[in-house]
Amino acid sequence: MAKELKKPAKPEEPDLLPAMGLFTILIPMLLSMTSFSKLAIVEVNLPERSMMNMDNDTPPEPDQQALNLSLAITSDYLVIGARGGFQPNVYFKEMWTFRCKSDSKLITYSPEEVKATVEAGHGPKCQDGKEMDKEKYIYEIENIELWALEKTSEEDPGRVRWSLYTSQGENVPDSVFVDGNNEFFAMTGEGPGGLKQPAGLKKPSAGAAVATLTPNSARKLKPEDAAKSIVYPLSAYDIIAKDLIAIHAQFIDLDDVDNIIIVANDDTQFDKVIQLMDRAKAAEFAKINLAKLGG
Amino acid sequence: MARKSRKYGEDVPFSLTSMMDMMTIILVFMIKNMDAEGQLLTQAENLILPVSTSKVQPKGVSLTVVVDNNYVVVDNAKIVTTEDVLKQEDLLVTKVDSVLKERRQVEIDHNLAAGLPADEAGNIVVQIDKNIPYDAMYKVMATCGFAGYTNIAFAVMQKNGGEE
Repeated sequence: MAKELKKPAKPEEPDLLPAMGLFTILIPMLLSMTSFSKLAIVEVNLPERSMMNMDNDTPPEPDQQALNLSLAITSDYLVIGARGGFQPNVYFKEMWTFRCKSDSKLITYSPEEVKATVEAGHGPKCQDGKEMDKEKYIYEIENIELWALEKTSEEDPGRVRWSLYTSQGENVPDSVFVDGNNEFFAMTGEGPGGLKQPAGLKKPSAGAAVATLTPNSARKLKPEDAAKSIVYPLSAYDIIAKDLIAIHAQFIDLDDVDNIIIVANDDTQFDKVIQLMDRAKAAEFAKINLAKLGG
Repeated sequence: MARKSRKYGEDVPFSLTSMMDMMTIILVFMIKNMDAEGQLLTQAENLILPVSTSKVQPKGVSLTVVVDNNYVVVDNAKIVTTEDVLKQEDLLVTKVDSVLKERRQVEIDHNLAAGLPADEAGNIVVQIDKNIPYDAMYKVMATCGFAGYTNIAFAVMQKNGGEE
């Protein structure tokens, strides 16, 4: 007798309704636990002056063997001081990068440009031509950047220095590249104030030997990383970060090698203080004190 | 030719497969972004915190002082205007100091009742708008120290949303 072949049954779709019910419960629960921007804390030691005021004693004699490292920020420059001496001033040009609500794109102006625009009765302009709210434009500042300046004298207005950076996109700099000698790939910009990117400074090609300020980061640049690199004004924060790392390594044997005092003047924005604290922490200065300039 | 239309009475199977695909994607995204430890720190309104590379999380719930463009707020109560803090010459912000001292005393009493050491430094988290001048920040921080809150931490926003 010929074997009767059984016709394959039409595949039945699994009952997905219970799984859907489970998902409907899980998604709102996870939604309530999701955080889209994470908060953290930066610990700080108490202000030096307040501590001195509390016990009205004369300050102790300075320890000649101590490093006594301080980092000062004024409206024009950053400077590192230690053992009563100071390194050369790192002059900067402050720039505000806004993220416009109208087009979600970044645009950078100097504070002077913004103030002049606001005084003329307008808000800073976005890339799409729309104006920001002249009362609330300050809430649209995404980054306060300090572009390093090359100066020949105190009176010289200076020219912007440019360097090579890694980038996560949108022409936003991330980590600065350094060469085998731990020097920046930096050049002074062209045009008035050096605001135009120097023609001689090219993006690194794939296979180029580069590093960042992070220890043991020397590597040959991968093609995808080379494509993402950008030429951008050198940040004064990065110059300070490099110097702080070098100082910490050089004076590692001193007792107060992990201490640093950040000194700022009254009108320094809080954001700048946090950026300096970040650089100090990255250079392994664990104990950060804050003090007032002239205080 | 007459158009053949589907009868209303015909049983059309309802396919949930595409809905399941969508739900699966959302679920994976949510699990990736889930913070199982919960938030010990929540951002106050009316201020933008500075972005930092710090990943340090607060160890416990602490008293929070907020300094925005308009007010200094202690535990959700507006104490003094930021403008007044900037105008004053003295380092000590007296109104904030008296509120903080009261809070500190409550904490000390609570510690004593619980048999914990009362002389431990108080913890405080200060949330300051990134555009606030250093002068205001310094006075508020010094006031916290005078009131016995010597373990001071600034709240910051993690760079790239905490992503590596």
